[in-house]
Amino acid sequence: MLTKFETKSARVKGLSFHPKRPWVLASLHNGVIQLWDYRMCTLIDKFDEHDGPVRGIDFHKQQPLFVSGGDDYKIKVWNYKLRRCLFTLLGHLDYIRTTFFHHEYPWILSASDDQTIRIWNWQSRTCVCVLTGHNHYVMCAQFHPSEDLVVSASLDQTVRVWDISGLRKKNLSPGAVETEVRGISGVDLFGASDAVVKHVLEGHDRGVNWAAFHPNLPLIVSGADDRQVKIWRMNDSKAWELDTCRGHYNNVSCAVFHPRQELILSNSEDKSIRVWDMSKRTGVQTFRRDHDRFWVLGAHPNLNLFAAGHDSGMIVFKLERERPAYAVHGNMLYYVKDRYLRQLDFISSKDTAIMQLRSGSKFPVFSMSYNPAENAVLLCNRATNLENSTYDLYSIPKESDSQNPDAPEGKRSSGLTAVWVARNRFAVLDRMHSLLIKNLKNEIVKKVPVQSCEEIFYAGTGSLLLRDADGVTLFDVQQKRSLATVKIAKVKYVVWSADTSHVALLAKHGERKQKPHKYYFHFSQFPRLYFRSSTLFIYGNVSYLIIPVRHRDRTSMRRTTGIHLKQNGTIMICNRKLESLCNIHENIRVKSGAWDESGVFIYTTSNHIKYALISGDHGIIRTLDLPIYVTRVRGNNVYCLDRDCRPRVLTIDPTEYRFKLALVNRKYDEVLHMVRNAKLVGQSIIAYLQKKGYPEVALHFVKDEKTRFSLALECGNIEVALEAAKALDERSCWERLGEAALLQGYHQVVEMCYQRTKNFDKLTFLYLLTGNLAKLRKMMKIAEIRKDMSGHYQAALYLGDVSEMVRILKNCGQKSLAYLTAATHGLDEEAEALKETFDPEKETVPEVDPNAQLLQPPPPINPLDTNWPLLTVSKGFFEGAIASKGKASQMAADVDMDAAGGEGWGDDAELQLDEDGFMDAREGLGDDGLGKEERGGWEVEEDLDLPPELDVPGGAGGGAEDGFFVPPTKGMSPTQMWCNNSQLPVDHILAGSFETAMRLLHDQVGVVNFSPYKSLFMQTLSRGSTCYLGLPSLPCLRGHPQRNWKDCGAKQGLPAVGLRLSDLISRLQQCYQLTTAGRFEEAVERFRTILLSVPLLVVDNKQEIAEAQQLITICREYIVGLTMETERKKLPKDTLEQQKRLCEMAAYFTHCNLQPVHMMLVLRTALNLFFKLGNFKTAASFARRLLELGPRPDVAQQTRKILAACEKTLTDAHQLNYDPHNPFDLCAASFVPLYRGRPVEKCPLSGACYCPPYKGQVCRVTQVTEIGKDVIGLRVSPLQFR
Amino acid sequence: CFSTLGSGPHVGDVDELFDVKNAYYIGSYQQCINEAQKVKPSSPEKEVERDMFLYRAYIAQRKYAVVLDDIKSNSAPELQAVKMFADYLANESKRDSIVIDLEKKMAQSVDAANTTFLLMAASIYFHEMNTDAALRTLHQGESLECMAMTIQVLLGLDRVDLARKELKKMQEQDEDATLTQLATAWVNIAVGGEKLQDAYYIFQEMSDKYSSTLLLLNGQAACYMARNKWEEAEGVLQEALDKDSSHPETLINLIVLTQHLGKAPEVTNRYLSQLKDAHRSHPFLKDYFAKENEFNRLAMQYAPTATA
Repeated sequence: MLTKFETKSARVKGLSFHPKRPWVLASLHNGVIQLWDYRMCTLIDKFDEHDGPVRGIDFHKQQPLFVSGGDDYKIKVWNYKLRRCLFTLLGHLDYIRTTFFHHEYPWILSASDDQTIRIWNWQSRTCVCVLTGHNHYVMCAQFHPSEDLVVSASLDQTVRVWDISGLRKKNLSPGAVETEVRGISGVDLFGASDAVVKHVLEGHDRGVNWAAFHPNLPLIVSGADDRQVKIWRMNDSKAWELDTCRGHYNNVSCAVFHPRQELILSNSEDKSIRVWDMSKRTGVQTFRRDHDRFWVLGAHPNLNLFAAGHDSGMIVFKLERERPAYAVHGNMLYYVKDRYLRQLDFISSKDTAIMQLRSGSKFPVFSMSYNPAENAVLLCNRATNLENSTYDLYSIPKESDSQNPDAPEGKRSSGLTAVWVARNRFAVLDRMHSLLIKNLKNEIVKKVPVQSCEEIFYAGTGSLLLRDADGVTLFDVQQKRSLATVKIAKVKYVVWSADTSHVALLAKHGERKQKPHKYYFHFSQFPRLYFRSSTLFIYGNVSYLIIPVRHRDRTSMRRTTGIHLKQNGTIMICNRKLESLCNIHENIRVKSGAWDESGVFIYTTSNHIKYALISGDHGIIRTLDLPIYVTRVRGNNVYCLDRDCRPRVLTIDPTEYRFKLALVNRKYDEVLHMVRNAKLVGQSIIAYLQKKGYPEVALHFVKDEKTRFSLALECGNIEVALEAAKALDERSCWERLGEAALLQGYHQVVEMCYQRTKNFDKLTFLYLLTGNLAKLRKMMKIAEIRKDMSGHYQAALYLGDVSEMVRILKNCGQKSLAYLTAATHGLDEEAEALKETFDPEKETVPEVDPNAQLLQPPPPINPLDTNWPLLTVSKGFFEGAIASKGKASQMAADVDMDAAGGEGWGDDAELQLDEDGFMDAREGLGDDGLGKEERGGWEVEEDLDLPPELDVPGGAGGGAEDGFFVPPTKGMSPTQMWCNNSQLPVDHILAGSFETAMRLLHDQVGVVNFSPYKSLFMQTLSRGSTCYLGLPSLPCLRGHPQRNWKDCGAKQGLPAVGLRLSDLISRLQQCYQLTTAGRFEEAVERFRTILLSVPLLVVDNKQEIAEAQQLITICREYIVGLTMETERKKLPKDTLEQQKRLCEMAAYFTHCNLQPVHMMLVLRTALNLFFKLGNFKTAASFARRLLELGPRPDVAQQTRKILAACEKTLTDAHQLNYDPHNPFDLCAASFVPLYRGRPVEKCPLSGACYCPPYKGQVCRVTQVTEIGKDVIGLRVSPLQFR
Repeated sequence: CFSTLGSGPHVGDVDELFDVKNAYYIGSYQQCINEAQKVKPSSPEKEVERDMFLYRAYIAQRKYAVVLDDIKSNSAPELQAVKMFADYLANESKRDSIVIDLEKKMAQSVDAANTTFLLMAASIYFHEMNTDAALRTLHQGESLECMAMTIQVLLGLDRVDLARKELKKMQEQDEDATLTQLATAWVNIAVGGEKLQDAYYIFQEMSDKYSSTLLLLNGQAACYMARNKWEEAEGVLQEALDKDSSHPETLINLIVLTQHLGKAPEVTNRYLSQLKDAHRSHPFLKDYFAKENEFNRLAMQYAPTATA
């Protein structure tokens, strides 16, 4: 049993799952109805209107309604959207035990201690039927899921099945109108006929607490105080007891059929929930609770979820894990479904079963590890008792029939987890908490104790992640050492990126109890006494928790009422060294994840697909109705498995995380592209950008001047800020801009700001600093006008305008000061004038300090008109982008000028930096060198002590060993075997045995001149063996590729030839092209190479042997023909005899076996020559032959003309040594015809013919073979030796 | 962090120079040098060991001068041996005298604890094609590397049977050690057949786990080619070529491969010319030239019975 969610509350008496939303209703013994979201683990709402315990509760399947029934005799119908009770149905005369909606009709079915069952119409809000017959409390009554039946259970020890078809007919027949039903007052009158008892099931010998129909079979399950669960079967006429499930040792409170599996669930006051096999009627599983008796069970109509109510709350649980076991390799997904291992090709979507699993485990496969090298899988099976867990090692069959795949024998061993660590090694965490390294035969090759390790995960070749109580350790299996550790508790899954550079650790953050803000205990007494089957029971609570509901709004309710166990998850992303890059907390379980191709981690929680960047940024991509398990992410597609193990593909919008990723990577062109093409703009994006430190990017989005202004200041973009400030024209803006501009040295902007804010003091000082005396004087005037005496004086002081200072002092009555100023500065006239104004009686003329010094501000050397020089700063991508959009302000020109001036600065600064860096580097080097030397000196000292000790054992050992060692003799190399195994020349060449190769060529095809073979030999030899490196700095090792490597064993090897008939054939094309192009000599050269290569072939069958022969023939024909043609062109054509010879040779050429395209050319030549010579008859035969080959239209037309001309005089003017009707061979040396029957000598390789005198000479065609030599014949296949 | 795993007894197993050695053996020489410069050895002995690998990595990169300059006459005897090897490789003219010196040293009692000396001596003998002496020298050492080199020499002698025996010894000592794995791959290639796939995976796994190097890539290529998987080999060798366009073994393998792929002879000849240009003294070419001479000599034994 896997607990998904638990609550603590008063005793739970009723439960109902919402069919679609992740909600469950719990009705409590204290009168409260709770609505929980079991996925988010939050209390959504509370409904507290019943007085006393609420036992009946049921969601409506379609409407936002639920019905409840309580000990206050009331049935209430509620609307959870409106969050209130809509109405109350009154009629029952005692406690109401259950209330259920009909799945189709507007009916409610209620069972009551008043011994009746009632059916209500919730639309008309009336009772439409009363079912009487039970003679004790009716504990439960339920509609049949599809038929017009009701099943009820009563303390009268019976279960009854009622037929309500009459009621349906009456209420839903066309004539039946609402008013008719509403008119019913004395329900008993109709009750008898509308609903009749069909079966009475007797068998329990105590009161029956629960009865329920099977969802689709004619079965009923019941649970009773006789501690038994009974299964009943019924047909149209009767019903009978099928079997009893015994095991509970106290009253059975509730029993239900599993909606989809052949299971029955029951719970009892014996504090247990039991699961029974429906067909075997045996207990499968038992879950016990320590202190709480169970009262009710609820099954989710379509999910694998159950709820059970007990004395102190409720649990939502499922019977088994629904996570499919899967593994991804490349484009393949491997997963287990229904005892089959299946393979899904992501690209072609081809989904095939490739293997049937060995049965035996009653649990679904827990996890899988796939080994692509060996095509093997490890499937782990977790048992309830972890120590009994096993794993299976399977070798996947190479070929399999998807309809009925093989069930190969696996190897099963005990072990908690098994994962591949290398191609031929896997690691098993055994129950003794040792790490076993095993080989493909499932044999232990190494054992590593890892005491506190709870779980192991794959971590790349040769490495594992080991999980202990509070962290995960990267462990190198080879070195048996831990490489890195990261602290994170309860890691459940590990997802590596494709290149294993990053890993996401998915952890269950534990169950954290959320404390309520306010709660109090309410001592209440609901003792209840009644007789049950002659035994007295006392039901009562001593105390229970009541949660105050002060606030009606949901959010605050969540805050104040969360007494439940909260489960949540953590994702930690680490790099290869297991350094934590970020940590993400989720309030909800993290289910799965996969890395997309751009390095974003896409993960799923119970209800969302989310993304996480390695920077820690994360967010929601889309919501999910049901949990899924992500297998792979590509582009917009999320590939996943759902809980039914169905592969699915969901599309997502990756814009948001792509955008953020582009930002993190500072790929601003992408960012800009997205901004312009995707609808991304929004306050949230701007806030995000600002928060993450990309004000310059955010600036790009903003149209609102105020935001623009702040953003511009934030990223120091004075131009944009100025623009915005102008638009806004607010004092505070100017002030802030002034400050920012001052920091950056934009004193012109500062001036403007001070002007706008009328900050005269600062403005004055600014002018002083910038040496702008004219403006400073103006400021003085302004101060005078403004009657700002102090400012006026200050300006005068800055200007060094003494007379003005004197004037000011005089005007404001500071006569003494005025006098002193005048006197000190040598304005004697003024001083005198002032002195006279002193009243000698009342006033004393102050004494002038003889040491007083002239106080004058230094005059500016060069007034500063432009802004302060600025360091050159490269413009950001976005500034550029903004400017390029024509938004540049009027400042642009100025700024550019400044920038130009600034470059000098920039250069200097850079230079300085460089020098510093250089200096540092050198210093660093010096230090290092020094350190080394010191250590070196120290080492020498050590050395002095050591040698004598070392020498003794070394010398002795070496000497002793020496005597016994006998160096091995050289073994038989593969190349030697090749020679032994083959009589084909190429094998000997590849083996490097030129001597034998030559002998073979000589004997087989009569080669006597080997020099043309030299390059072929060397080339062939060079492909005979490969290289691989052994230890560094040593000569490399040689590999010997063999064509029969699969089955040759140690002795039967034959070299891989590396020369294919097809390659030679394809090389013909090149020769043909050269021929067509008229490059005869080159063509001959190539034809000859091909011809010489043929004896170096190895072919497999007779057809290929024939083809090889044919290839030789083709080459020969061309070589003979082309050589003759070359020869012919060299011949003189002055005399008639000479011309006749030319014609003869042209005629012979037409008897070489050439390709039609070439034959046409040859025929045209011959035709022309013969026509010119006047041999019209022969010419005509050439013309006909030409036309038969179907030449181009223009050629054909011309040929026909010539033919017509020939046919006029069909005679030959000259006698030639050419008889087209008498078959002949052509002597390849003398180019004369050898008519059949005449003696002829042939080349043993090419088959070229020669007049007998040429015997013993080298063949003109091959240039390697001896004419007329007696040979074995061409051997290119082992077939020829059998 | 190690204690949390409760593997106390294995602390001794941990080799502080693991990364240095590992990088060296898989042919990642620059990384070996980097690691060696980073690592802080815990004892003077370790320091010498570190330097030994550092200088051998330089040798593997053919930077002999660094070694010859750095190692002084007062450096540790292990390093002196490394220097001797560097000297041997660097100066073709001095080789004979170095070998004579070496013979003298070997004739005296040899310090068998100085594995480095044994390895360097054996390396020189191996280069000299004196496999007997190489094996005799290696026989005195017991380190994994001595065994690995023994295997390499034995494979050169086509004694796969003995190589397997030696490999078994290595596996008994430490099956998962990088050297044992590599030696397994060499032997597997020599054995051929189904073992080729195993050999391939060893190289593949190492490139996955550490980094792909010319050594590993050529190993993979050799496996592919031994299994006649020419197209696959092409990809691997292309990667190797991208890493170093004039790496002799890569070029040799390409000479083999291009022919098997049926490429035009010119393509093959290009690689051959490249090899001739850059590595004239490579054993492959020495063999090649010798074979050319042999061809000429043998060809003279044949002649037509008549001349035109």
